[in-house]
Amino acid sequence: MLAGGFAHVLQGGAIFHAFWAVLIGIVIGALPGLTATMGVALMTTLTFTMGPQVAMLVLICVYVGAIYGGSRSAILLNIPGTPASAASTLDGFPLARKGLAGRAMGISTLGSWLGTLFGTLILAMFAPSFGEFALQFGSYEMFWVAVFGIVIAGSLSGGDALKGYIAGFIGLFIATIGQETNHAYARFAFGNGDLAGGLGLLPVLVGVFGVAEVLNAMRGPVVKAVSSKIDSVIPRLRDVTQYWRTILRSGAIGTFIGAMPGLGEDIAAWSSYAAAKRASAEREMFGRGSVEGLMAAETGESACVPGAIIPVLTLAVPGSAPAAVLMAAMMIHGVNPGPMLAITTPEFIYQIVAMLVIADMVKLVYGLLLVKPLLWVLLIPRSRLMPIVFVLCTVGAFAITSRLFDIWVMLGAGLLGFVLRELRFPMAPLVLGLVLGDLLDKNLLRGLVLSGGDLSPFFTRPISAVLCGLTVLAAMWAVPGLFARIAGLFSRRWAAPRP
Amino acid sequence: MTPTPEEGAASPFAGDRAPLPPRADLYTAAVLLAFGLGVLGLALNMPTFAEQSQSGLTAPGIVPGFYGIVIAGLSVLLGLRAIRRGALSASAQHAPALSRADARQLGTAAALGILYAGVMVGTLPFWMAAALFVFAFTTAFEWDRGPAGRPRRIIEAALLGLGTGLAVTLVFERLFLVRLP
Repeated sequence: MLAGGFAHVLQGGAIFHAFWAVLIGIVIGALPGLTATMGVALMTTLTFTMGPQVAMLVLICVYVGAIYGGSRSAILLNIPGTPASAASTLDGFPLARKGLAGRAMGISTLGSWLGTLFGTLILAMFAPSFGEFALQFGSYEMFWVAVFGIVIAGSLSGGDALKGYIAGFIGLFIATIGQETNHAYARFAFGNGDLAGGLGLLPVLVGVFGVAEVLNAMRGPVVKAVSSKIDSVIPRLRDVTQYWRTILRSGAIGTFIGAMPGLGEDIAAWSSYAAAKRASAEREMFGRGSVEGLMAAETGESACVPGAIIPVLTLAVPGSAPAAVLMAAMMIHGVNPGPMLAITTPEFIYQIVAMLVIADMVKLVYGLLLVKPLLWVLLIPRSRLMPIVFVLCTVGAFAITSRLFDIWVMLGAGLLGFVLRELRFPMAPLVLGLVLGDLLDKNLLRGLVLSGGDLSPFFTRPISAVLCGLTVLAAMWAVPGLFARIAGLFSRRWAAPRP
Repeated sequence: MTPTPEEGAASPFAGDRAPLPPRADLYTAAVLLAFGLGVLGLALNMPTFAEQSQSGLTAPGIVPGFYGIVIAGLSVLLGLRAIRRGALSASAQHAPALSRADARQLGTAAALGILYAGVMVGTLPFWMAAALFVFAFTTAFEWDRGPAGRPRRIIEAALLGLGTGLAVTLVFERLFLVRLP
């Protein structure tokens, strides 16, 4: 089936599409202020007239390329091109300052390549069987999957869990605007026909990640010029043999975090970095140009990409913000991700595997060859880049339904996203809320109808109970010191002298 | 496995800048409380369609009402936390949210963005709207670099605008057959 997936994907001009799409992804990722989410959202517009196969390949290539591209500016400018690359600045930039920018980029390329490959392997091994397991999920379970996604994204993705939850529920609320499915009643439309049609996911995402980013980028200080001297970028085999444990550990952490709803590449990179530092014999070098630290961060963030696609394919729940846009694009192209995918088009999972491998290989080629041109790209002043990005945002918001209303939605969402960011609300739960809103809404009502208003099946069915327990644990995780206090209680009880 | 932003690097998380003063959180909580209660009120006023569904369990207001309650509840918690952190204390210092230069740049970007997307798009041909926007944006943000080389920068901005308008139109409309506004 895997060979069939490759054969299917490699038909036509797949390699050509992969090369240009990965290049665009790398450029988007490398430019500070342009994120992978924005890149995938904008490129979705370009794929409207393509077949689903080519469209998915292009978007996956952009996603893979953008996550990797962020490391370029992290290493050369000390500014992460995407949030995912923030951990790479810790050791990448010190290496560049020592005159080892090329070596740092080589390590980044190697780590990123191995990370995506590792994650893709996990996807190929587990997604089909997990997809079959997910067939047991009914309305009650899918309700909890959606709630779990919001809670875990709120707990872990923003530092401030309370604001994460609020952002998640604001996203869920936005998803309720427009006609609901049971009675075609237009919620929060106030008699407006456009609002009754609902807020399109893509215009909102383009607003939150595109317009808000443009506004954010234009108010900060100007980025300084980069070093123009680059040593060899060819990775060394010794880096793999010496740090194979770090690579495997970071790959596993990255893929696992990717598979958790809504967490994403930034957390995967930080967690991989922290785990590598804890386990390293040379931890004093971390933050001062550690090859191992850079390798861990890059492997973790890139392994997260296939990881984030696992729940998209099996549960229709995205593992990261770019994966959320990818999922929306799948739906636009008539592919319905989720548990039924294992029955309707099981070969699609292997086609995605093939696309990830192709994207990863092309990324490796660019990583080794495309160094100087990317330096020029990084020097483009934001005063010339950002208006072009804004123009592309407008096209992206409008193109899907050809409504001027969607441009207003984009502007409104951009403003909301900017204000929420200024108030330190994380964006990942908001996006997850937007994407999961429909899933939660339908399954809650369907579950209530099926049980005749009885809430108990939401808690008593075995999988529901497990998911409910996980959701409660995820919420408790966010309460500062709660687990320590519980552990303290138990230790006191054990330590207390027996009568 | 909670991620720990390390010293010396910009955290990717929301708290990567200086923390907000507690009073800002208190105001935010007040706005969110009003919003949550507003959503709840609107949800309660939605029809229940009980006569059609026999049970009222498919009422359109159930889910948004639930969200409204949760948002209101969480905003109360946010407000209480802000008070515990000293939002009501008279000595609470207010750091300006934006510097004057930042606010000016932000205002310029937002105004030009709204003028372009809200007014010019749909009124003018797309290539022209895009060209004018890119030209105005670039010129506005490069104006402060001083008079030296300004005419050249303005010409470059005009060429960039024209190039963007034409390239976007050609690539999207002709190559990828995407409809433009």
